[in-house]
Amino acid sequence: MPAMTMIPDLDISGSQSTPIIRSDWAAGRLTMQGDSYPENSYDLFDQVIAWVQGFLTQESRPLRLELGLVYLNTSSVKAMMDIFDLLEEAHEQGRQVSVTWHYDPRNERIAELAEEFKEDCSYPFVITPAKVVP
Amino acid sequence: MDLLSMRESYQRERVMLCFNGPISRSLIEEIGKALRNYLDTQQAAPAAAMDVFAAYIEMTQNIRHYARRQGYGDDQASATVAVAQDSEGRYQVSAGNLVETPDGQRLVATIEALAGLDKTELKAAYKRQLRQPRDEASPSGAGLGLLDIARKSSQPMRASLQPLSETQSFFSLTATI
Repeated sequence: MPAMTMIPDLDISGSQSTPIIRSDWAAGRLTMQGDSYPENSYDLFDQVIAWVQGFLTQESRPLRLELGLVYLNTSSVKAMMDIFDLLEEAHEQGRQVSVTWHYDPRNERIAELAEEFKEDCSYPFVITPAKVVP
Repeated sequence: MDLLSMRESYQRERVMLCFNGPISRSLIEEIGKALRNYLDTQQAAPAAAMDVFAAYIEMTQNIRHYARRQGYGDDQASATVAVAQDSEGRYQVSAGNLVETPDGQRLVATIEALAGLDKTELKAAYKRQLRQPRDEASPSGAGLGLLDIARKSSQPMRASLQPLSETQSFFSLTATI
């Protein structure tokens, strides 16, 4: 049995200015949904970065990010870029990682934001319109 | 207090929303919520509404970060914020705060330099700034917010600096979305 120091899963309920964040170590999945504009994003995202780092170091299974992020302030953009960079590094070492970003097709800004992140990633990064409930 | 003249000035400048005073984290959120609701009732396009909201957030959070770094008390850590529409219906987001004059002069110079960049150059500068090492002293990354606002603006941002004392000035910034 390998020594395991499994990092506890994240289950962060969202607020007006912070997204819902859930991780599932067993499934190899991290989900984030909603707006993110806290004053100091790293107060929130440091634990997410630690979870992603932990998973990528301790596991060899694929990691999948499911995102439904909407508005991000620049502080959150910087933190998200750090997360995508971790995935890029892992991908370059042969790991299977992917991002799916669901956006509301009524607001093209969200897709544009996702596209800019995608420009710096060479792993599968899918930007897909979410079904709109009329 | 002459509320009527305040009202007339707001109407003349087409001010939709304004605030003056110490600005807390929760106030930024509450005013932001009011702004979003207002834009929603105005049936602003979702992308335009998000750009206005983004400019408002970056400006007010910059003011909070600056006041904290300077160790300003509540009376000095206040902001003057207004969201208006110009005569062509474009949204204008303005924010002003007290600064040390040399800091204000640097800011005005930065904003004047940004005015000379086109959208492609602004994007390149934004991405370069994003790649700067994370600075614990200024968690939001100095300049990134301004670049973000510049990218969302339909015309160059306008900044001004008016002296208040020997050492301090009032800095104000307007972005047209």
